[in-house]
Amino acid sequence: MKVEYANPFVIAAVQTFQKEVGVRLSRKDLKVKDSPVPSQALSIIIGVTGAVRGQVVLSMDENVAMAVTKAMLPGKLPVELKKLINSAVSELANIITGQASILLAGDHGKIDITPPAIISGGALKMDFLNLQTICLSFLSEVGTLELNIALTEGHS
Amino acid sequence: MKRGLIVDDATVMRMRLRDILQTRFEVVGEAENGQRALELYAQLKPDFVTMDITMAEMNGMDALKNLVARHPEAKVVMVSAMGQKAMVFEALSQGARDFIIKPFDPDRVVMAINRLFD
Repeated sequence: MKVEYANPFVIAAVQTFQKEVGVRLSRKDLKVKDSPVPSQALSIIIGVTGAVRGQVVLSMDENVAMAVTKAMLPGKLPVELKKLINSAVSELANIITGQASILLAGDHGKIDITPPAIISGGALKMDFLNLQTICLSFLSEVGTLELNIALTEGHS
Repeated sequence: MKRGLIVDDATVMRMRLRDILQTRFEVVGEAENGQRALELYAQLKPDFVTMDITMAEMNGMDALKNLVARHPEAKVVMVSAMGQKAMVFEALSQGARDFIIKPFDPDRVVMAINRLFD
């Protein structure tokens, strides 16, 4: 996987978090893995096709997920927010991937993404594509999150 | 008061758009995919539609094409994170009146809908 595919996601994640959650993200570290298997409690998987293809997996703990939901729906009660966590974090992943795809597609390419799929809890086992993955982790005042980017060159 | 239909697969986004729009307009329906949007449009005959792109069942681009083919008078504003030049161009050439890229400012949404009726 080309390292330059990761930069648009860093930009998109930082900007989207600032705008949607009002929280500043800072880069923690970068690892290279054999597949985009996430490490945190709640993960959102988005497929990518077109000029680049593969998978993007956003993963976070429950505190971050709750903070995202609260920021996206100000004024809602905690009991309502709990029911909407999956929807909020899925939308956040959709926006980050959409924003990154604008940068990746540039002036001429076209990239499409699938609707987000969400996995939560430790009991579920899933097979992920064996694709070299760049795992970016971020720190914030509400907790840590991780972005697994497993993309290869596709076709425009 | 102009009547609107919100189309987005994310519940949170439908709630946010409803909160923003109902300060100036009447929101008469919400659809979670393109197929449902076509059904609700025929039933409710709204004055405008906000349309997401990435959705299961039928995506927003296919829904736009179908909607404009069946109802050429339909006023559709795309509201999507998929703001690549190729996507924006395709949507506008298929009959969308405007394209709002997520994340958006609430004022941008209200302005886009107001402009439909200037």
